[in-house]
Amino acid sequence: MKCGFCGKEIPDAPDVGQQSCGACSGGCRKVHCPHCGYANPVVSGLLRRLMQKSEKREEKG
Amino acid sequence: MIINVKQDPIEFVPPAVASLPEPKILLVGNPNVGKSVLFNALTGAYTTVSNYPGTSVEVSRGHCEIAGVRHEVLDTPGMYSLLPITEEERVARAILLRERPHVVLHVIDARNLERMLPMTLQLIEAGLPVILVVNILDEAERLGMRIDLPLLREKLGIPVLGTIMARRRGLAEVNAAIASFDRRPATFAYAADLEGDIAKIVHRLHGDYLLDRRAMALLLLQRDDEIGALVRQEEVDFAAVEQAVNETVFERRSDLHLRISLERRRVVKGVLEGVVSQPERHIRTFGERLSDWMINPWTGFPILLISLYFGLYQFVGGFGAGTVVDFLEGTLFEGFVNPWLIALADRHIAWNWLHELLVGEYGIFTLAVRYAVALVLPIVGTFFLAFSIIEDTGYFPRLALLVDRIFKRIGLNGRAVIPIVLGFGCDTMATVVTRTLESVRERIIATVLLALAIPCSAQLGVILGLLAGTPGTLLVWTVCIVLIFLLIGFLAARLVPGEKPMFYMEIPPLRLPQLRNVLVKTLTRMQWYFLEIFPLFIIASVLLWAGKLTGALEALVRGMTPAMHALGLPSEASAAFIFGFFRRDFGAAGLYDLQTNGLLNPVQLTVAAVTLTLFVPCVAQFLMMKKERGWKVSLLIFFFVTTFAFAAGWLLNKFLLVTEVLA
Repeated sequence: MKCGFCGKEIPDAPDVGQQSCGACSGGCRKVHCPHCGYANPVVSGLLRRLMQKSEKREEKG
Repeated sequence: MIINVKQDPIEFVPPAVASLPEPKILLVGNPNVGKSVLFNALTGAYTTVSNYPGTSVEVSRGHCEIAGVRHEVLDTPGMYSLLPITEEERVARAILLRERPHVVLHVIDARNLERMLPMTLQLIEAGLPVILVVNILDEAERLGMRIDLPLLREKLGIPVLGTIMARRRGLAEVNAAIASFDRRPATFAYAADLEGDIAKIVHRLHGDYLLDRRAMALLLLQRDDEIGALVRQEEVDFAAVEQAVNETVFERRSDLHLRISLERRRVVKGVLEGVVSQPERHIRTFGERLSDWMINPWTGFPILLISLYFGLYQFVGGFGAGTVVDFLEGTLFEGFVNPWLIALADRHIAWNWLHELLVGEYGIFTLAVRYAVALVLPIVGTFFLAFSIIEDTGYFPRLALLVDRIFKRIGLNGRAVIPIVLGFGCDTMATVVTRTLESVRERIIATVLLALAIPCSAQLGVILGLLAGTPGTLLVWTVCIVLIFLLIGFLAARLVPGEKPMFYMEIPPLRLPQLRNVLVKTLTRMQWYFLEIFPLFIIASVLLWAGKLTGALEALVRGMTPAMHALGLPSEASAAFIFGFFRRDFGAAGLYDLQTNGLLNPVQLTVAAVTLTLFVPCVAQFLMMKKERGWKVSLLIFFFVTTFAFAAGWLLNKFLLVTEVLA
């Protein structure tokens, strides 16, 4: 995932939406860019699954 | 298909690795070249992240199946050279040394071949099974670069692939190259004297090493302590090796590290001859010129105003808070949903308290659900859509550079654009982000400004929607908020002690927003926002209902009436301010009800909008302030903001009445 502010790559971690960065108890569905601190939205499970399906379709196509 | 790049199709060859026990694929390369994207594309969702043994550096591991063979995939930390400087590089090299990879995918940025190929040379001379993945080809093409990948493959003697991993282009070729990988040693030569030095060391190395002896010799000549220790363990006659290294370093009397780096650069230049072509006079694209205009103050501020006019005023205020809210709130909820629910409650609910709780003045359905679904959601939805489009173009870092000079006057710098911009989405989340500012002074100033003069998306949308219908009011509101933002920032910069850090940042390229990115980000933000506000709106509605039943609300409204009258507002306006305690957006929705019920004239509407914008941070934002800044500072900010909001509202009311600006 790329940061929406600085454009740098944010290392993906599994279940990142559930992990806490220490600012709150977690579950805020945000991932802070390690390069600039910008709060990027974490794609929800449902949307992610839909995206993966469409990617697979694109790859097959 | 890769754009503008010559690339041979890679034929699929049945796997030669089927007999090996779970072969390993290592991903190496500089930071920010798309390693992690390739790792995710190869492995999918099932990965583990753990610290590499004995270090605090995280390494991702996953699995993939290529041509029927299960492979383990490791994403190594970013590294610039086989000669490590940082802990990350040390770990990356340790993985290369220990893991015995079947394939090493060296991922490089197509725009910086000259800077990144020296590491490819190091991997090749180390005897590692390298496949070169030239990523980000689309951006290189945008810069007018043409890369002849077959020629590069021929010159390097290893498989070379072109990819655009952000769009998953080239993944099939990567899989095919791994499946058909045939290890053939590639060689290249340095200058004769350096080759002689390398040969002297290589002849004395007899141990069993995972890296090629040439690479070991070069690392020894560069005084790599870890490699030195390894050779000491492996060699029977280490003294001879040490003597040869010392003699060579002494003879050359020069920095061998620099010499070797220069030699590699010379080799890379030769390799790239004919591989990369770029028009000598680079024709500046429209995107590059637009990027410059966005940063230049003479053109940047008009562009900012145009973006705000169309993005916020027309789209969020006009379309979101106007058309969509009119339909959802006015037609759907007021016309159908609420009358139906009230009639249903009239028929089936005998207890007045329950009737009031569900469909009364502050009922869960008639107030909380209506506010959340029909008022706030369409406004934040349109706001987040506009926000995501602007974000996806790469405009925000340019905005940071544009306002850097102004922000320095108010004790901040361009970096503070991040929390301020996020504050227009939600001030609570933006308050957390102030921790990314470098000094405590900046964090305090940004927190004050967020609490005071930055309206959240729903509040902004409602205010834009309401004021847009009354000529002049929006201009007065905008001037007030901007002036207060600058004034308080200017004063805070002089009152709050502390250092003034510098600001610099790398600007990513300007790009056309991608529909999928924009939709995904918008829906994700809307989902997060709705899930956050919905329970809070219901709690607020229940508290208001309880307050109404017990008479506490009436007492509170009575208590606030003198303040409302001082601002020139009717007593009913107290409700919007009380709502604002719970949530900024809840208060804004209360203002919407006041205006649609015809209770406010243009002066009162402007005064209420300005005061509510400046008014206390909501409960969530206050709690976050307390967490980030502590009780003392957050209480100070809270009382300052409340007093200042009412003082500013009172002054504005007097000014508007005397000057009759909005009469």
